[in-house]
Amino acid sequence: MKEEMSRIVRTMTTLIYVFIMVYGFYVIAHGHLTPGGGFQGGSVVASAFALLVVTYGNQKTQDFLQKDLLSLLESTGLVIFICFAFFGLGATFFYNFLSNSGSLFGSSATIGVNPGNLNTGGTVTAMNIAVGIEVLAALGVIVLTMSQASETIEKKEK
Amino acid sequence: MKKSVFGFAFLFFVAFLLLSAFGMRPFGEPSFSEMDDYYIENAQAETGANNVVTTIVFDYRGFDTLGEATVLFTAVVGIVALFREVAK
Amino acid sequence: MSSWLSFAHIVVLVVMLIAAFLAVVLKDLLPSVIALAAASLLLSLEFYLLHAPDVAIAEAGIGAALTMAIFIFAIRATKK
Repeated sequence: MKEEMSRIVRTMTTLIYVFIMVYGFYVIAHGHLTPGGGFQGGSVVASAFALLVVTYGNQKTQDFLQKDLLSLLESTGLVIFICFAFFGLGATFFYNFLSNSGSLFGSSATIGVNPGNLNTGGTVTAMNIAVGIEVLAALGVIVLTMSQASETIEKKEK
Repeated sequence: MKKSVFGFAFLFFVAFLLLSAFGMRPFGEPSFSEMDDYYIENAQAETGANNVVTTIVFDYRGFDTLGEATVLFTAVVGIVALFREVAK
Repeated sequence: MSSWLSFAHIVVLVVMLIAAFLAVVLKDLLPSVIALAAASLLLSLEFYLLHAPDVAIAEAGIGAALTMAIFIFAIRATKK
């Protein structure tokens, strides 16, 4: 894993990984309308990170994907999630105080089968985004740490 | 002796699973469905989101998602602590 | 329509069982991990056939991609 892979694999990766990431962010942002959600979209984005690490090696990937930044992002996502849970504490923990209120994410949905409006869902949408950030950062940190440890151990054995 | 005990337990378990599999209800027809009916009828009006599954995961059953996020966070903390010497 | 669907269920489940059996039986670690990833991908297809696309996306992302990458990193590190 310390050398990068062949030219074919590198070209295909540079072509594909942007689309995988955009699909993951689409799944996160449309979690309240289409199948998927924060966890699924975050895992898709993290699989794009894994593709980058496998193709380019750990050293080159960490030039533009800092592990400390991802670690910070993970804690931020979790804190945002818990904050949105606590904001509803006027009624109950995890109360959906934003839905049908007319503010951000607060339009009321049309009842029945319809394509949907992105500005609905209340705290469901906000929590989707928070959990998506948390999951993509957590799985990215796991992949980067494991690959770095694998590379270091392999170098030490030689 | 020990192997025969394990084999007997395995056979008992398989027989139990098969017995319960033949006694199962048909797919998509649970015995109690009051909660499901409530979710299907009211989730869209109450939360405004079209995807009822996400509504249940993030709104009605929010504690479950909080636990899941905590598990993931704990896993990351464990991995970073385990490789703190190797991956500097 | 329904018979085609049950035929697809049977094919996917049988191939998944074969892949899982190969993952246990194979002596070499790398083919075993690849068989495990194939079983995971077929499980995701089965979830999709059972009308659970949420679980299918999660299974394809975590089970097939990330688990396989992490297993391969571990194999690289532990090989002598």
